[in-house]
Amino acid sequence: MIPKQIILGSTLALLVFAGCKMDKEFDGPDLKDLYGKFTVVQDLDISNRSVDFSLNQTTFFTAAFSKNVQWNLQIKGLTSGAVKQISGFSSELIAENALWNGTTTSLPMFRIEDCAVQLTFENEVDTLRDTLSVIGNRIYQGLLLSDFENGFPTGWTKFVQSGADMSFVVQENANAAQGNKYYDMGGKVDWDYLIGMFDIPASLYGAPRFNLNSNPEVVFFNSFIYKPDSIDNSIILFQFREDDNEDGTYSSNEDMYSFEYRPTENGWKQLSLNYADLQTLVNGAPVAAIGNGIHEPNKLLKVSLLFLANPTSGYSQSYIDYMIFTENAPLNP
Amino acid sequence: MKNWFITFSILCVWISVVKLDAQTKQIVSTKKFNITGLARGNFYADRLNQSSGIIDSVTIPKLNSGHILSDLAFSIRPSKSMEVLAMARIRNDYGGFWGSGVTFDIRQMYVKGVIGGIVRYQLGDINDRMTKYTLWNQDQEFLQTTPTIFKQQFDVLNYDHFYNFNNSWRQQGAATEFALVFKKFIKEIQFHGVATRVKASDNVANNDRIFSGVNMQLIQSKFFSFGLNYAGLSDIDGTSKNKELFRNPVLTGNASFNWDNAKWEIFAQTEFGKSKTFILNNEIVPSKNGKFWEVEGAIKQKKTGIRIAGVIKRIDSEFLSPGAQTKRVHFQQLPIAYNRIGNEQVIRPLTIIDLMRESSLCNMQLQAYLMDFSPKYDNITPYGDATPNRQGSIIKSDWVSKNKNWVVKAEQLNLQEVRGEGTTLPRKFNRTSASLSYTNNKISEKWAKRIHVGISYRMDQTKREGTEFYRGVDLSTNVMGVGAEIEVLRNIDVIFGYQEVKYSGFDYTAKRDEYAFIYNFSEYEVDGNETMVAAGLRYRFGEKSFLSAQWNKFDVSDKLIGTSNYKVNQFMLLYQMSF
Repeated sequence: MIPKQIILGSTLALLVFAGCKMDKEFDGPDLKDLYGKFTVVQDLDISNRSVDFSLNQTTFFTAAFSKNVQWNLQIKGLTSGAVKQISGFSSELIAENALWNGTTTSLPMFRIEDCAVQLTFENEVDTLRDTLSVIGNRIYQGLLLSDFENGFPTGWTKFVQSGADMSFVVQENANAAQGNKYYDMGGKVDWDYLIGMFDIPASLYGAPRFNLNSNPEVVFFNSFIYKPDSIDNSIILFQFREDDNEDGTYSSNEDMYSFEYRPTENGWKQLSLNYADLQTLVNGAPVAAIGNGIHEPNKLLKVSLLFLANPTSGYSQSYIDYMIFTENAPLNP
Repeated sequence: MKNWFITFSILCVWISVVKLDAQTKQIVSTKKFNITGLARGNFYADRLNQSSGIIDSVTIPKLNSGHILSDLAFSIRPSKSMEVLAMARIRNDYGGFWGSGVTFDIRQMYVKGVIGGIVRYQLGDINDRMTKYTLWNQDQEFLQTTPTIFKQQFDVLNYDHFYNFNNSWRQQGAATEFALVFKKFIKEIQFHGVATRVKASDNVANNDRIFSGVNMQLIQSKFFSFGLNYAGLSDIDGTSKNKELFRNPVLTGNASFNWDNAKWEIFAQTEFGKSKTFILNNEIVPSKNGKFWEVEGAIKQKKTGIRIAGVIKRIDSEFLSPGAQTKRVHFQQLPIAYNRIGNEQVIRPLTIIDLMRESSLCNMQLQAYLMDFSPKYDNITPYGDATPNRQGSIIKSDWVSKNKNWVVKAEQLNLQEVRGEGTTLPRKFNRTSASLSYTNNKISEKWAKRIHVGISYRMDQTKREGTEFYRGVDLSTNVMGVGAEIEVLRNIDVIFGYQEVKYSGFDYTAKRDEYAFIYNFSEYEVDGNETMVAAGLRYRFGEKSFLSAQWNKFDVSDKLIGTSNYKVNQFMLLYQMSF
């Protein structure tokens, strides 16, 4: 007897299976993105063309393309030269991927100025351009030691060797990392490493000790340091003296943490130090703590900056700007 | 735990007999020592003719090569339940003098036997296979349909690389098996286990890699059987400094059903399972999880000999089973013969003549991830039945005449991708193939000679619609083979063969990273054809020995790459004797 049921069942199964179920996603990159023709579907636009970052305003950029593409949005301050880069891989620019809150990618920081906006695409010749105005700068949370906009702070004590071409002064020009002024340290001292230094006592900031969080993991010291093109011998030593016994003075059996910075890249660079990472140094080498060995930012009594160079290496110079303590994260300029 | 013990105790009582399977019994031989092996001598004389119109003054057009070798296997049986075999290969390439061209290798070595008359074991070189989705050495391209005259060269390659007719993989390790026979309900349960070392540690970055397989086959009766299979490829921790460990467990189940009466035979089988691929101690590389299932049903009318079968299957894009998906051919390798041609010495791409005879292309180790393949030769089932990312149906039919002289086969395959590549649109695959053969060992009473003729044709198509952003896929491959063997004098055959592979069209091929994730596509366009025509004589000394002389003309033309148009005239002399 012919097993009709089996034949019918098999045929039915084959027919049913003719409607194959597909996965909704696909493997690999989108062919459309790799091989599709690129066109700008919607031109570049800016949500807020006069943005005041001091009021926590933001602005975002919009545009749409025919396919996903690697894009790069550059905002350049026409006065400061500050640059903000935002990049992504998508077929559109929207608030989620092209929002600007006034931060900068490469120093200096933006000022109140007009900015040129330029949108470019990888492997495509198209460039979209626009402009916007910054009418208010970002306000940063933290304990600002100085931005030098009002000159060398009163109460800071300064010592400068009597070497050649000494220039421990506040400079005012468009080169500042923030605002219009920065502190210029330079000179040649051929008998000592120390060229000059200054101390920043906590008492100038309204309390016997700096008003910082007691948890060193969340405290960051930030500053911007500039290395001129032809200068390769600068050494900047930061010292953080703690009042371990809280007697209002620093003595030689209390902790002094240090950080030695040797600029290697030309131009302004941001230096952000986590307080917990600071070490006790002698001649640049880590040694055992000289006090209680506990990182206690809330007991920080004095910050010192020593500008050094090998006495045989000749003239040395660096600039410093915007010294600030921040909490929970490094400064996001 | 207690329940397990009780269950096991009941099981032991239920089992009345424990026996060895049939193969185990065969181990026990009366001879204590014997020698088996193979002797072979072959010679190739090739001449390259380029049809570019410019005289190639750089490439040496004539290549001669050949060797004579002997495989000698010494089999010793110290007892009825133990056998030791060692096979040595002595090979001398033509042109070697005073031993300079002689090599001496150990080709095969194993110890096998039976423990307590119950458990069969084998240590050393092992030929092992499980199911088509767990451990299966799939045939290389064109092997199944190529005419006999070309198959002679394929056979040499396959013998040398242990590509056995039963699709087993040659591995080194240990295997064991035993069977339990039951009184009622269940006829037999067979157990099989294997563990082999796939890759040796370099003590630095590469760990030892082990393949392990376990198979349990429950034979309920002659009507029904059921099996569970595990195949795993895994790195062994601590065998190198690398803490990232590859893991690929594959678990499958299979069942088969047979039934027949005086008029009909019905057969059905299924296999289903899943795989997981991940790198232990690496949180960046995501794991891949894939499933598959395949159901086949067949019916045969005994009176006419016509058999029709239907298969439906679905294999996920992420199903990975190295034991079943590893290819025999390294398609990223280049042939040694005429490696570069033309005055510019451009690299010669791999062709069908290389697939037939190039030893350097052969792969003998399981590969963790999908190997490269050649879409122009097979874009539909490059990894055999276990090719991932396929779903659809296959209709097969065959007919064998009552006297077995005529065999006709036809197959229609309609598959498509489970998951698109670079788009949600799937590629659609269509294969139509047919073959006809006639074999007669005694043409007539007056002319008691042997004749075999065969013709086969395969047409593959891959399609996917394009959009305004990217091209459509339309790649076709046509393969035709015609072969004949006619005995003209006693044991002397005239043999002839023709094979053509024609391909044209366009596809996007996936570029995969070291973990087999697609990171890019490249445009793949071909338009060419390759033909081989061969004729020769074969003298059969007996069932296992022959001498064959053949002339082969290979012609490749490519409309897109001018430097790929050339001919190779080949003369081959092959003597082979198995003993």
